[in-house]
Amino acid sequence: MRISTQTLYAQSMRSMNQQQADLSHVGQQIASGQRVMRPSDDPQAASRAVQVSQAQAITSQYTDSRVSARNALSMEESVLNSVGDAVTSAKTLMLEAANGTLTDADRASIASQLQGIYQTVIGQANATDGNGRYLFGGYQDKSAPFVTDASGNVQYVGDTNTRQQQIDASRLMSVDDNGVSVFQSAQGASGFMAVAVKSDGTANAGSVTIKGPEVVDTSDPAYGTPFKIAFAVDASGSATYTIEDTTGAVLQPPQAYTSGQPVTYGGQSLTLTGAPADGDEIKVDQAKNLNPDLFKTFEKALAILKQPVDTPAKQAALQNTLGNAMTEFDNSLDNVLMVRASVGSRLNELDVVDKVASNRQLNYAQTKSDLVDLDYNSAISEYSLRSVGLQAAQKAFISMKQMNLFDLL
Amino acid sequence: MSIFSIGLSGLNAASAAFNTASNNISNVYTPGYNRQVLDLAELPAAQGVDVQGIQRQFDSYIAQQLNNANSKTSALDTYQTQVSQIDNLLADQDSGLAPLMQKFFSSVSDLASSPSDPAARQGVIGTADTLSAQFRSFDSYLSDMASGLDGQLQDEVTQINNTAKQIAGLNTQIALAKAKQGQAPNSLLDQRDQLVADLSKRVNVRVSQQDSGSYNISFGNGQPLVSGGKQFDLATMPSAADPTRTSIGYRDAAGNLVEMQDSTFSGGTLGGLLTFRDETLNPTRNKLGQLAVSFAEGINAVHSAGVDLNGDAGGNMFALGQPMLYANSRNAGTATLSVAFDPANASQLTASDYDVRYDAASGGFKITRIDTGESTTATLDASNQLSFGGVKVTVDDPTKLADGDRFQVQPTRIAAAGFQNIIGDPAKIAAADTTGGSGNNKNALALENLQTQSLVGGTASFNQAYASLVGDVGNRTNIVQVNLKAQQSLSDQLTDVQQSQSGVNLDEEAANLIRYQQYYQANAKVIQTGSTILDAILGLR
Repeated sequence: MRISTQTLYAQSMRSMNQQQADLSHVGQQIASGQRVMRPSDDPQAASRAVQVSQAQAITSQYTDSRVSARNALSMEESVLNSVGDAVTSAKTLMLEAANGTLTDADRASIASQLQGIYQTVIGQANATDGNGRYLFGGYQDKSAPFVTDASGNVQYVGDTNTRQQQIDASRLMSVDDNGVSVFQSAQGASGFMAVAVKSDGTANAGSVTIKGPEVVDTSDPAYGTPFKIAFAVDASGSATYTIEDTTGAVLQPPQAYTSGQPVTYGGQSLTLTGAPADGDEIKVDQAKNLNPDLFKTFEKALAILKQPVDTPAKQAALQNTLGNAMTEFDNSLDNVLMVRASVGSRLNELDVVDKVASNRQLNYAQTKSDLVDLDYNSAISEYSLRSVGLQAAQKAFISMKQMNLFDLL
Repeated sequence: MSIFSIGLSGLNAASAAFNTASNNISNVYTPGYNRQVLDLAELPAAQGVDVQGIQRQFDSYIAQQLNNANSKTSALDTYQTQVSQIDNLLADQDSGLAPLMQKFFSSVSDLASSPSDPAARQGVIGTADTLSAQFRSFDSYLSDMASGLDGQLQDEVTQINNTAKQIAGLNTQIALAKAKQGQAPNSLLDQRDQLVADLSKRVNVRVSQQDSGSYNISFGNGQPLVSGGKQFDLATMPSAADPTRTSIGYRDAAGNLVEMQDSTFSGGTLGGLLTFRDETLNPTRNKLGQLAVSFAEGINAVHSAGVDLNGDAGGNMFALGQPMLYANSRNAGTATLSVAFDPANASQLTASDYDVRYDAASGGFKITRIDTGESTTATLDASNQLSFGGVKVTVDDPTKLADGDRFQVQPTRIAAAGFQNIIGDPAKIAAADTTGGSGNNKNALALENLQTQSLVGGTASFNQAYASLVGDVGNRTNIVQVNLKAQQSLSDQLTDVQQSQSGVNLDEEAANLIRYQQYYQANAKVIQTGSTILDAILGLR
């Protein structure tokens, strides 16, 4: 084929341009460390890289979320720790106060110690995180969840919600517990309790003290149902008791009451000592149905400790109330420990998920690198290959330029 | 004496040959120059040599092939230049939309961790602002490209008109010269062929040579651009179907401007620009819009269902550019149609535009997806509405519709342009569900969950949709680059073939110069010999 002079130059230029473009492409790749610099370099890889980046971002988003979940739970755990300590001390004080040789003054001094513990517990129940958010208010975290009303009783004004956080792709974790579940609940396994109080809520007038109840027969058909023992004392002073259900319907007809004799119903046995007054009642139910509120227990114990004991009825009330308070403190402690255990297991879970996530993160980084990063070995050898190519093209151009008949004329 | 005249004819031929070689040498780099060779013939009765003419080495068949190839190369080259701009825009992985969407959801997750924390709330507003600004800037980049492209179309049309006018002028001159001298000057022919080659790089045309020597040039659909000495003008004009789109109009003999289909122009810069616009630019804008709509509607629906820090119901978080509807300017009816998003069918939203055509006979509408060509028929419901593709079209008065009335619906074209965060007060972010409470994070969790839900077209998450956009543009760019490479080498090969025929080779011309020098010397020798012979005769005494 005839080659025109223009073609000679054009061909040389073309091959030099091509070599230069290839060289510059590899050069750019080496400089950026990326094989895929623009989506067009490898559309599939570029598109997948976007998705892997998203997976990476979501994983670290969940990691951040776990950090704040861990903060919240750790804070709660430390508060629950001190609440547990406080309730234990309160229980110890109850044991002290139950000592029959104490005087009114001794009990008043115990009361003032108990008052201190009570304030501590209220303080802990209204604990806030670093940002002033209340830990135990449920969704109502802007104001203190436990407030003291006009009559001096502590009321819960939060709600019963639990805040959750997405700590992994398919795991929503509760990152707090509301005040009700921590301070005003008893576990189902907390057992039975007997309280000496009339249906209208006033204290018994007699001096019956309670020991028990103790479970004697779990196979009894009436086992587990709440009941009350209602006393009647006739004009001659002889006392009878009737077992009634909570609505007042008679479950067991009136029987003669003898102090110190066990009263048995529904598989529960109580030993009642002392003289009842007409209309006195003793309620037996699961502890969680009676008074699961830790603050009420404090209030009750404080009230009874401050009251001078000058009659057998008051003596009996003191004994019964302290007994109840001890059971209730035990139950509250169990409940707090239970919540603490659940917080602890959530913290453990966070650790486990963290480990899984960091492994996942490594995988993602590897995948992304495989997709878009440069293999330096092959890139550098490519680079030298292209430089040789370009130099060869340049040499060819120079020698072609010298081959000219006019130079020889 | 004939020996003198024979020698003289040789000397003349030799200097003509010198001229030809010199002209070839001096035009070695002249674009469009075709190598010339001397056409010699023996004079009758052995009277010497005659210069018959100077032929230019031009093969119209190869020239046509080369022009066609160059037309395609130029189209692909233009396409590649344009699409690379989008490719480059998507190249930066750190500032693209994907990381910003991720940052938005990450800030929502922070909000779920501490729903009453003003900093977390401010964080959501910040990322929502950044994200929506990026959507807008992405779209404005594309819409700037679109208006730049309109300007380029205008330029191309002007250039095409100019070139066509020059070809028509040369047609006249060449026909005149041919009539006068039987043959037109090579320089004029070269000029005209060069203009045709230039024109082919701007638009694909068909060339046919007339007996008069004129070129007739026409478009693929048969409409003439140049016919003899007459030239027809192109002009840019708003499309009848969509006034925001610049179409190419053809001014016919009666002076009317007629809109031409974009598909008429497949080659040249003009074809490249139009193909890029219809195949990549508008679909990319639509896809971006679709993502914006899905994102905004998804977030808005959840956000509106929640309750803000003041206890009020959360409103919309994002505003959007609304869908557009254009009535065809050739419509006979006078009904006014309006279009709005149909949140109830949000998952049906596509990135396509739609052609809606009224059919009086059936009283229904034919709805055609412009990207796939798929069509369905539908009739107005009781409230004079049509629902399709995630939008609702309302006809004000169906009695005003005329048969064949067409409307173009662009559901998502400008959606991203109006994408905006409209919440400025951190307290107005609805992190809570309807139970309320400052620590309530239920709605924030629901918002966070949207990140992985398939809300775009009902099949893809936001990020997947963006990844597919990146993949699409990457693929398109890649295909264009590969095609361009192949087409370029075809053009190069044909150029080599054309050059081997018509190009000047300096070595060849140098050899010719030596040859012609000897030729001249030989003829001079003939004359000298004749003179010697004559002298010999005259010297006889």
